[in-house]
Amino acid sequence: MLKWSGSKGESPVRTTYRVIAMLIPIGVAVQVIVIAGAWFLVLNDLDSGTVLDNNTVGNWAHAAHAQIGAIVIPLLALALLIVSFFAKVPGGVKWAAITFGVVILQVFLAFVGFAAPLVGLLHGANALAVAAVAEVAAGKAKKASVTAPAQPAVVS
Amino acid sequence: MRTGVRAAIASVAALAVLGPIGWFWYDSLVPGTYDMAAMGYADFGGGPAVDHRHTGGLSVADLRGPSGPADVRVTLTARRDGSRYTLNGSSPGPEIRAEQGQLIEVTLVNESVPDGVTLHWHGLDVPNGEDGVAGLTQDAVATGGTHVYRFVASDAGTYWYHSHQVSHEQVRGGLFGALVISGAGDPVVAVHTYDGRRTINGKPGITPLDAAPGSTVRARVINTDAGPIRVWVSGPAYRVVAVDGRDLHDPAPVTGKAVLVTAGGRVDLEFPAPGRVEVGGNAAIGSGETSAEPRELLDLLAYGKSTPLTFDPARATRVFDYRIGRRIGFLDGVPGLWWTVNGKLFPDVPMFMVRTGDVVRMTVSNSSGEVHPMHLHGHHAVVLSRNGQPSTGSPWWIDSLDVADGDSYEIAFVADNPGIWADHCHNLEHVPEGLVAHLAYEGVSTPYRVGGDAANVPE
Repeated sequence: MLKWSGSKGESPVRTTYRVIAMLIPIGVAVQVIVIAGAWFLVLNDLDSGTVLDNNTVGNWAHAAHAQIGAIVIPLLALALLIVSFFAKVPGGVKWAAITFGVVILQVFLAFVGFAAPLVGLLHGANALAVAAVAEVAAGKAKKASVTAPAQPAVVS
Repeated sequence: MRTGVRAAIASVAALAVLGPIGWFWYDSLVPGTYDMAAMGYADFGGGPAVDHRHTGGLSVADLRGPSGPADVRVTLTARRDGSRYTLNGSSPGPEIRAEQGQLIEVTLVNESVPDGVTLHWHGLDVPNGEDGVAGLTQDAVATGGTHVYRFVASDAGTYWYHSHQVSHEQVRGGLFGALVISGAGDPVVAVHTYDGRRTINGKPGITPLDAAPGSTVRARVINTDAGPIRVWVSGPAYRVVAVDGRDLHDPAPVTGKAVLVTAGGRVDLEFPAPGRVEVGGNAAIGSGETSAEPRELLDLLAYGKSTPLTFDPARATRVFDYRIGRRIGFLDGVPGLWWTVNGKLFPDVPMFMVRTGDVVRMTVSNSSGEVHPMHLHGHHAVVLSRNGQPSTGSPWWIDSLDVADGDSYEIAFVADNPGIWADHCHNLEHVPEGLVAHLAYEGVSTPYRVGGDAANVPE
């Protein structure tokens, strides 16, 4: 399903767009995996008498989820948005902007979830939206290259 | 040409996205060395403007304790062993005990803490120059260095001491101890969680308590952790006789309820032996059967009997807001979701300006999504109301106040201890995340700097 190299004639910028767009759903998958691991580690720690309270700083998997979610994926979404201006993908800017918006919403929902745990449920649902819209963006880039190979860049 | 126009539009669009982000990043940068007192903006609380100087006037360095022979002399040697910190080879460090009115002299020796250390006397309203905040009231004591603290044990009660240099690591790692004034014989219950293990005076599990059946025990509970804990007594009914080193007036016996002790806070619990003080996490001190953690919490707002205050909060000369929130932004160039004070990120925080003798009212409110144990240095404040509901019980004096998400407390105090005082969250991880402001007196300046040669990191 994943195709890293561009089709013949795909411009490097468009390839960049497509690869960044594909990295986002991969990031979402990693997030799902590490957050499951984080809470299973907690349950395991509790069995050996660990206290879980406001002092608890979380384990390595919590830290990974926080770093990937608050920094790596937002940076990918931002990079996708910037690259979209140059990539000449039909609908590319729109879907990059949607991806960026949904990623920001995702970070927002995460932090609202601390005070309102039911809102936190939406954080789980919105994760699927992040992956979906980024895949749409990647699909737009792929379709653009297949249907209308980009002209070599003209330097004037 | 078409390509050139397109590239130009794309570049402008990219700049339109990156430009503001770059500006917010640049604007958030904090210098490597700075005067904490010069950070943010002066807030006069509706009172007359006062002189807010950054040099000259009265120096924090001159606001020291009295000279003369000390009644209690202690030397505390700080060491680091991996992620653990000890004082005189143990964590917690030695209990310091004195009688009210005695002069205490503590010599801090830093044997092997690479980041430097200080000692802050949490809850004891010492002169500002003895307060132990690195970069504000002194330089951090580097490895091989010493520092002498001298102060009078002015108020009887339960206090504690801890490092105020890289404190979010050093306190968590064990650089603290108990300080009890006029409580000879009372057991100290210093609660600390080391690597997920809840302990009392450094020991996990059940600690025995030497008390004859029928005798009255006054257990002095200190929460040295970063979050609130629930404390209760299994067995007999208990009374909360003091909070944060201040006796409560006519406290009634409590059964079936726990009392919340905020991070940095203290409660003194009195009960007839045998009984067992439970602090959660399977840690307790005393004897007898254990009891399940009560679900209900004692509300200190309506506990004990009302009695006139020593001052009149209605005659406040300054009224401040300390609103805690949270938002996305850059803090010293690092993107994240940071704590805000009155809507702004550190260092753009208020400097609450007062004059000696001012009666100050402050509303501390929290809409940040998480609890914050707010600690004002150098002063005790009385709780007037919570969410508009006035205090009807004993005067409830605090130096550390648990402000839950969605809560708003009105507190009042008399500005009677000149200096520059930190007013921050005692979930110490939150301080480098921006949750700190200061209370500064007219005409007081500090010669100390955050950063600098002494590498002062007060949080």
